[in-house]
Amino acid sequence: MRLAWVKSKDALRLRMTQPQQVAQGEPEAEMPPYMESFLASLRLLIGVPFEYLVPDPRLLPDESIRFFYLDRSWADRVVDGAVAVGKIGTREQAHHQAHAPAVQQQLDVTERIVRQIQMRKGPFGDLKSANDSDPATNGTAQVITGFLLRSAAVSGWPAMDVRAYSVDIPEILQPWTADAQKAQLKTLRLERLSPSVMIALFQGIPQLVTIEEPHHGVQFGVEPVFGGFQIDERGPDGNKVKVGTPPNQKTKPVPVHVRQSNSRVLSIASLRRALFQVPAADHLPPQTGGASFAVEVLNPPWRQRFEGTQDNAGPAGQQSSGFLSSISIAVRVTNDATKVALQSALQSGVPK
Amino acid sequence: MSDDGPPPGNMYLYDNCTPPLLDGSYRFDVSTATTIDARDQNLPSAVNYFNVEGPRFTLSPALVAGVFPPRNGHGSFQDNLPHIALGRRTLPWERALDPSNLIGTPKHRQGDPPSPVGPPPWMALLLFEEGEYTILQNQKLQDVVPPDVFQRLGRPANITCDAVQSTLPLVTSIMPSVEELTVLANVRQVNKEDRELAAGSGDGWFSVVMSNRVPAPNAKFCACLVSLEERSDIVPADPPPDASIFGLPPHDVAPVVAAGNPQPFQLAASGPQITAGHLVSHTGTSIGTARTPVLVGIDKFPFHRVVTLVLLYSWKFECIGPGSFRDLMQGLNVAMFGTVADPGHPPVADTGHIKISLGDRAGVEETVLYRSPLAPFQLTRDDKGPYHSADQCRRVTPETGAEDVTYACAFEVGRLLAAADPRLAQELMRWRREAFRQSARGDTFKAVSAAIPLPQPIDVHTPAVPVVAAGATERMLTGRSPSADPYSFNPIQQVIGLNAAAVKDTWGLSSNEEAVAILGGNAGTIGASVTAPPATSRPATTIDAVAADTASLKNLSSARDRLIANAAQKLGGKP
Repeated sequence: MRLAWVKSKDALRLRMTQPQQVAQGEPEAEMPPYMESFLASLRLLIGVPFEYLVPDPRLLPDESIRFFYLDRSWADRVVDGAVAVGKIGTREQAHHQAHAPAVQQQLDVTERIVRQIQMRKGPFGDLKSANDSDPATNGTAQVITGFLLRSAAVSGWPAMDVRAYSVDIPEILQPWTADAQKAQLKTLRLERLSPSVMIALFQGIPQLVTIEEPHHGVQFGVEPVFGGFQIDERGPDGNKVKVGTPPNQKTKPVPVHVRQSNSRVLSIASLRRALFQVPAADHLPPQTGGASFAVEVLNPPWRQRFEGTQDNAGPAGQQSSGFLSSISIAVRVTNDATKVALQSALQSGVPK
Repeated sequence: MSDDGPPPGNMYLYDNCTPPLLDGSYRFDVSTATTIDARDQNLPSAVNYFNVEGPRFTLSPALVAGVFPPRNGHGSFQDNLPHIALGRRTLPWERALDPSNLIGTPKHRQGDPPSPVGPPPWMALLLFEEGEYTILQNQKLQDVVPPDVFQRLGRPANITCDAVQSTLPLVTSIMPSVEELTVLANVRQVNKEDRELAAGSGDGWFSVVMSNRVPAPNAKFCACLVSLEERSDIVPADPPPDASIFGLPPHDVAPVVAAGNPQPFQLAASGPQITAGHLVSHTGTSIGTARTPVLVGIDKFPFHRVVTLVLLYSWKFECIGPGSFRDLMQGLNVAMFGTVADPGHPPVADTGHIKISLGDRAGVEETVLYRSPLAPFQLTRDDKGPYHSADQCRRVTPETGAEDVTYACAFEVGRLLAAADPRLAQELMRWRREAFRQSARGDTFKAVSAAIPLPQPIDVHTPAVPVVAAGATERMLTGRSPSADPYSFNPIQQVIGLNAAAVKDTWGLSSNEEAVAILGGNAGTIGASVTAPPATSRPATTIDAVAADTASLKNLSSARDRLIANAAQKLGGKP
């Protein structure tokens, strides 16, 4: 009888003395695509039950926003737990032990394309190779921060725009400018967890977070004035037309007529006529149809800014609950006076 | 039209977006004119029918991308025009409002803007206050629309639809005219990079239909998207007169006939592309409740003729209290995670942990600490991984002695999520199996390479059989090399008596030289090598060169002659 080239005992010994089984560079050491995308999405807590994120409902009351740092160790343990499936013996354990650093390093890179995968930007392979070869994205892991928002705004205004910036850019913030885009932190995850709860994850520590009303739901509106309504002239870019020198600039109002038969029905035809008769020097968009009319009655989306470390809006003494973070990334800034004026106006029904 | 979309934070507005074909039944006639030898020999013609179908009397809620004010929303919407965003950009223009032009041409006066570009949409968003309307469900179409409209709609059979019913004076007072309808609808394209993921967010294109009525404060409203197809009975060519406010006189200029009819077919979106950029919040706008209407409408008409309209979609909202996006955002409670409104409920430790109760293996309830992955401060990353079981991640806090199950929980969540996904388990096994298989292959190759000298090293990723086969074939072709030891000196040397090393080992001599001396001198002389004499080198030659050598030929001839003579002598003297 011929002897086998390799006896099973020897083979096992060989494999146990070489726990990684295959070297890191070998193609077999790479994770299968499905596994890689699954583990990368676990890194961003996708699929993790809400109770694990918010163990007590009082940690996220109604109408609140809570900023946080993502605990990297926690996310790593979720991945460890996932890899533990089917780990039946020492051989698998040795294999995982040997490959874990490489897996971790790869997931640090791949977690950056999870949002692209969610948005179905393309096949995983293409996204991964583009991401892996891009020096801007294949670097080491960075701090992940984010927020949880529970508000009626989440359900009432689906698809709102959320951006985070590494520097505090004062208004007028123009997200499409090169400076703003350079300072914008990569959004790793932005999703609704339930109809009224939204989670956002960013790569890096933001100094400014903005939440904007959804743009496809940009509103249209008119300003009430005594006895009727008016609108302000707006140029083709949606900005209000202003006259005068910068400190004393004024907008140019256009009165809005209403129908004789119903005083809350705007006379669209008359408004169009009035807009048509605006002097050409104001550079309004030509009144050709729906688009230019829509620009004029635009109510730009509200942009809420979260910046600084002080809550300037809430009632005093609300933050005395056990600990105050060393770097609290975001607390709302709004002018106290505006806030008070708004509240009293709404309560009394008369503007002050 | 570019499909790249606007830059972040911007949107593009278009007047309209008309489909290449309106909905309806079409016939196409095919005929081919052929001329052979100056005679017409036309091929048989064909007639085919097809339908272009789209929403007509009902609208799938999936097509509604968004509404404002929000459905069932409460808020101060009294300054806003309600609108509905539809996920299909061509939807409002997919049908003709008035194909037989029964509505008539709007009168144009001096100073009026030119007619809006594009066809009017076939739908309108009407806003009804609570009590002004009745919504009827599952109505027969012929009960909803007047007989002549039903006739013009093509008498579709067995259509049920929802309807909204109101009085004629009210509908007349809020119904936009044809040109107003055109102006109240537009198409927008938004950037979708920074948006939360939502079902049906689609391609970033939306068509929008606005209402012309502003909700009054402290009232409930229902916004109804209605179909106005063929409703020339209620859609006026000219809007009703304005109320004379601001001291402006009503229109008094003679009418001018409008320019031509709107183009029925347009292949692409037309109209100017307008960048509505710079959509920043404008702070400082005074918010107040609108005044009571100055003028009393003619809602209280003495007799109420009822108008019923096909209802495509409707939603209700209340115009009350703070509830705009801005108010909600301004009213948010902002803090780091772990801040609770009522300190101590629940008690949150400085480290962000909270106490939870846990039933341990023995079934005993114990209080343990847990911290969510959302921490109020930056944490260092544990580099002691990987962990192989949840128990490996359990920790005890030194101060209190309480157990910290944070990471054990994380581990279990990951394990359960992975186990719930059969495909992931398969892929994990594949990942391991591939590694194990290649490792086994590598071991086998190592053993084979040690046993058979191979012309080149074998790699686990390349097929091994050709390499091994090539090695084997090569050896067969070259054959066994000549024996290096024809006289078997090597075995003789292995004989104990002649092997100096063996003698040394056996007798325990101190050195090899001593053994060599005992055996009688230099053992190497036994196997002295003998070199073969070198062969004489000869130049290469040809048969012609040999034939030309007459001296040698003569030698050969004489040798032959001698051989013949010798043979003849032996055979009896005869040649």
